[in-house]
Amino acid sequence: MPKKKQVAKIWDAVPGYDFIEEVDLAAIPSWFLDGTHSVPPLTPLFAYQWARFCSHGFKAACYKLGIPTCKGWEIRIFNGGIYCGLHIVRDQKEIAQREVKFRQALRPWLEDFDHLWDGYKKELLGIYDKLKELDVDRATNLQLYHHNYDLMEAYMRMWEIHFIGMYSSFNTWLLLEALTKERFGLSDQEAEFQDMMRGFDNKVYQMDKKLWEFGQLAIEMKLANIFKENKPPAILPKLKQSEKGKEWLKQFMDYMTTDDIGGWRMQHFTDFNEPYWLEDPATPIGLVKDNIMRGNSYDLEVTRVEIAKKRRAAIAAFLKRVPPEEKELFEGLIKLAGKASSYSEEHDLYCELSVHALMRRGYLAMGRKLAQSGTIDNPEDILMLNPDEIDRVIMVPEANDMRWLTRRRRAEWEKAHKTTNPPVLTRRASLEEAINLDLLPSRDAIAIKIVVGEMPQPKPRLKADLWGICGCPGQAEGPARVVTKYEELKKVQPGDILVCPSTNPTWTPVFGLVNGVITDTGGTLCHAAIIGREYGVPTIVNAQKATAKIKTGQRVKIDATNGAIYILDK
Amino acid sequence: MSPEKLIFRFEELGREHKQLVGKKCANLGEMLRMGLAVPPGFATSIAMYRRFAKETGAAAEISGYVSQLGQLKGKNIAVFDEMSRKIRGMIESKKMPPALAKMIASHYKELEKKGEAPDGAVSVRSSGTESRPGMFETYLNVVGIEDVLDKIKKVWSSAYTARAIALRVNKDIPVTGDELGVAVSRMINARSAGISFTLDPITGDTSKIIINSSWGLGEGVVSGDEDVDRFVVDKKTLKIIESSTGKKAKKVVNKKRGVEWGDVPSKQQSALSLSNDEVSAIAKLALFLEERLGRAQDTEWAIDADAIPPDNIVLLQTRPAGLTVKKPESVTDRMIDLIVQKFYRP
Repeated sequence: MPKKKQVAKIWDAVPGYDFIEEVDLAAIPSWFLDGTHSVPPLTPLFAYQWARFCSHGFKAACYKLGIPTCKGWEIRIFNGGIYCGLHIVRDQKEIAQREVKFRQALRPWLEDFDHLWDGYKKELLGIYDKLKELDVDRATNLQLYHHNYDLMEAYMRMWEIHFIGMYSSFNTWLLLEALTKERFGLSDQEAEFQDMMRGFDNKVYQMDKKLWEFGQLAIEMKLANIFKENKPPAILPKLKQSEKGKEWLKQFMDYMTTDDIGGWRMQHFTDFNEPYWLEDPATPIGLVKDNIMRGNSYDLEVTRVEIAKKRRAAIAAFLKRVPPEEKELFEGLIKLAGKASSYSEEHDLYCELSVHALMRRGYLAMGRKLAQSGTIDNPEDILMLNPDEIDRVIMVPEANDMRWLTRRRRAEWEKAHKTTNPPVLTRRASLEEAINLDLLPSRDAIAIKIVVGEMPQPKPRLKADLWGICGCPGQAEGPARVVTKYEELKKVQPGDILVCPSTNPTWTPVFGLVNGVITDTGGTLCHAAIIGREYGVPTIVNAQKATAKIKTGQRVKIDATNGAIYILDK
Repeated sequence: MSPEKLIFRFEELGREHKQLVGKKCANLGEMLRMGLAVPPGFATSIAMYRRFAKETGAAAEISGYVSQLGQLKGKNIAVFDEMSRKIRGMIESKKMPPALAKMIASHYKELEKKGEAPDGAVSVRSSGTESRPGMFETYLNVVGIEDVLDKIKKVWSSAYTARAIALRVNKDIPVTGDELGVAVSRMINARSAGISFTLDPITGDTSKIIINSSWGLGEGVVSGDEDVDRFVVDKKTLKIIESSTGKKAKKVVNKKRGVEWGDVPSKQQSALSLSNDEVSAIAKLALFLEERLGRAQDTEWAIDADAIPPDNIVLLQTRPAGLTVKKPESVTDRMIDLIVQKFYRP
């Protein structure tokens, strides 16, 4: 019999969201790389979900808030990287019309941010509780079929909520900076500004504190040696061998299962391919170990309390410079801008980290079903399919063979790790032109302060080797630790200067170890900047080429206050 | 005054008639009583509007429409835009009932006949019982009875602009509140016009009289749009203590019907629109009004090009002067304004 010609269509990696030059560049002239969230390259399943629902969240928030100059972001995937194109409103009449809605919609957020955010947190937790109700391992194929849609609906709702709090609070940060620049020549890159925006009590701090307390508890219960002498994966089994150990473990796992967030936290922020805390308690146990190892020289409570005190003093000092008739305005703005910082830190727990954990749980269960029936090679290959394809095969998996697709996509995904993605895909003449024409007119605070960030301003008399902008002021020196792959995070040693493309909330514990942080991307409201300020770690962001120019082991010095980086042994 | 009378010459009115014909008309009558020069004219009463609305069915239509709208508080401006469109249409589409048209026409003809309105040009202005600065309509250079009737209806319907509806809703006033009287008076051939304050509206300083002036009719001065000449007069000595020239690039001029903005020749732009004598005369009048009415006054005046000084200063309106410091704006309002101004405007 003659060989059948290959007639199967070669499907894209992320159908519907792959970047297609002729179509996408024609529609929107510039697409900016979101380096914070797509290094390393995303798995196809995650990329699909993010491209579809994160961009929806942007559009929904811009619609609900009536952001006058932006209708949201489009997202496409190129080589595993997230590229964003902004829907900029350029017609003056339309901007004026949208302004009317914007004024109305923004008001409640300025008047009672906490109340509104509390309401949304409750809504999200309720959605997550429903998802947790499904016993994924005993679920029927039909239940799993529906769970696919439940997960996507949860994801859609999470993104809608995610950006409303962000846009509303970030606008006040932007306004405060505009006014401090006007009146006092003070930008948000300076210590005087940043000191007013640190030391908040929120869920992140509360969870860090809890882990710290578990460390103290282990010491009290004379279990410290088990932590000190073993690597994290070995600690749990060793604890189970003693009564005290079992008691400690019970308390610990209670917290992981009953706290609002607890163990429903992904280890890797932007993808599904690492376990969440409840799935692999070795991760949070490792953090407890770090706390114990640090001993009495590091008290989390003291640090955060000190920073909070510093904040109140900084605000009092700043307000002295403000004329009496403007005091109320500035007081109100400082409070609200502080919420931008706190929200930026806290929302990750209630939004991405939780829902990603639930998605991993659900999709891996589907993966196990499909692996069992030979549809895919391994459960983890579910990450190489998208939800429509899962829909197609999950009811009668034994009749479907998708390995030709998952293998091709996996190979492409692994190949993508070997290249770096350009910062922009554009038909403009340069990155600068792209930023000026296709980013800045959106007045989008998230684009300007997080994703793209403001350009460093070198101060020639300082003779630094590299420049970035100040995320958290201060000086630090130490051996550089360049981390571009998530697995490399484990190698970070106390006293290192972390050098990376960007950080995200799962990296928070690392900030407790290092002396300083340098990132390639980001702005003053990016994750690294906020965490740096909360942990008192000198941080420089948007250094552009730091991971390319600095090598692990080289001694570096940073003057974060001035955005200056010195490579001491070249 | 018999309640059936729906139309009055200004001479028949005084400050006690505010509820009858609205504040503007009552004050014009009061100024006449004081012997001050006021453009000849007549007032239609609020009762006339009610008669119009009842006889034409507009009142029933409007109240029927409003009652089926339900709760309006907190609604979007788009809702009020739509309401305004509909209700103004309900009023303006009705023909003036013959009886009302007859009495308006006879008063209008009287203005004409007495030689007081030789070409029949009049202004048609709103006159409400509540203080709503700048909220309702004013029509200038209205010519002929048909135009007069049409503009009276439009003044009545201007009680239903979206802004006015929103204001009443937010203040828990019935949507159909703000029934209006109308002041119809001879157009002044204004060489210059403007306003006077017997206190500084920004600082509240009561020792000074502020006069703002420009060429032509005073619309630009009243709305604060144009850059105008400014004079400050000491109340005690009546001496001019400050005098500054504004840009005065544009002035309001008559068309065949209605008015428009025209360019001011550059020589005139740099010249003051009032002589020192005129400034003093206006200041004296403003002070006189303040004393007679018992409180600081915000007065509109015009210099009649067709009259001979010193009798060429005509008063168009007077009302109690308020500070322009707006009602305490909340910090939130301020933040929203600033965010919009700084980030979302060109």
